[in-house]
Amino acid sequence: MKRNIITFDKFLPVHTLAVVVALAMGATPATAATNGTLGATSTGSVQISILVPSRVQITGLSDISFANVEPNAAASSSQNNCVWSNTATKGYTITASGSGAGGAFTLASASLTPVPYSVLWNQSSGQTSGTSLTAATASTGFISTATAPGCATSPSSTSSLTVTIAQPQLQAMPSLTTYTGTLTLLVNPQ
Amino acid sequence: MGCPRVLAGGLALLAILAVDPAAAQQVQITRLNDIALGFASVDQDATGSRNVCVSATGVTGRYSVLATGSGDGNAFTLAGAGAPLAYDVQWSGTANQGTGTALTAGRATSGFVTALLGLNLSCVLGNDTASLTVVVRAADLSKATAGAYTGLLTLLIAAE
Repeated sequence: MKRNIITFDKFLPVHTLAVVVALAMGATPATAATNGTLGATSTGSVQISILVPSRVQITGLSDISFANVEPNAAASSSQNNCVWSNTATKGYTITASGSGAGGAFTLASASLTPVPYSVLWNQSSGQTSGTSLTAATASTGFISTATAPGCATSPSSTSSLTVTIAQPQLQAMPSLTTYTGTLTLLVNPQ
Repeated sequence: MGCPRVLAGGLALLAILAVDPAAAQQVQITRLNDIALGFASVDQDATGSRNVCVSATGVTGRYSVLATGSGDGNAFTLAGAGAPLAYDVQWSGTANQGTGTALTAGRATSGFVTALLGLNLSCVLGNDTASLTVVVRAADLSKATAGAYTGLLTLLIAAE
């Protein structure tokens, strides 16, 4: 009997400097305000401008707990979450990092050998499979279907996260031992 | 009504002038400046206020404001990276205000008063009399596609 616990950090919106600079360069308005002339009526005008920066937000993450795992098969857990992106394509990338050495996807238990696990991401909710993520490496692009931050409006979730501990790893773990780790998900707009 | 004059011989002449007060009043709006809201936070209202100067030649200094945007049907919307981005417009008859009376696009709002009567020399000297405020709501910003948005707001001041 083995017990493994993975906990997750949730991230605030992230924005990239490159996008911010590009917006600033492309949106500097020329002065357009005009004053009115004296008369029974007088008309003036002003130009109004605003820059909406690229933003993303990941929400709806829950801790994953594998309790009393049988070592005769891989242990896997999937959950839905929400990724919102306001770019024109609603695109984003994910960089997942574990709490192991160099950001490795591993669970630790005191001085025991760390146990690796795999991480899958799917840009659709309700999925148990997906694109395998490499630790500390930005993923390929995904597309969000969220229409509001935090999926405040439909859909209520946009994507799936799956964590798997392979059978050989489970069989190598001593029974009645707790392993824990933190998986960090960094989302960037694309 | 004119003032009576006493002529030689004791003849009093009373001149009565029929004048339409409104027709004689003139107004002018000056010292307008663009409002650049800069980088918005998508979870907070973006607000910008500017002082402006309204001068009037009338005795009361009363005037109305009719604001029109550059959106469809003169709507208060900004055009740019995504769908039109709505904003609110507020007007205060006092300078240095961050809020004011909400204006409706294409509809005159009356009842403002400027203390600056006569020519706008005082405006030239920087004595502003009113405040213009625009607000882009967080609810709209959170739905907006990232990018730049601009629009033109036209203000028509009419003597009352």
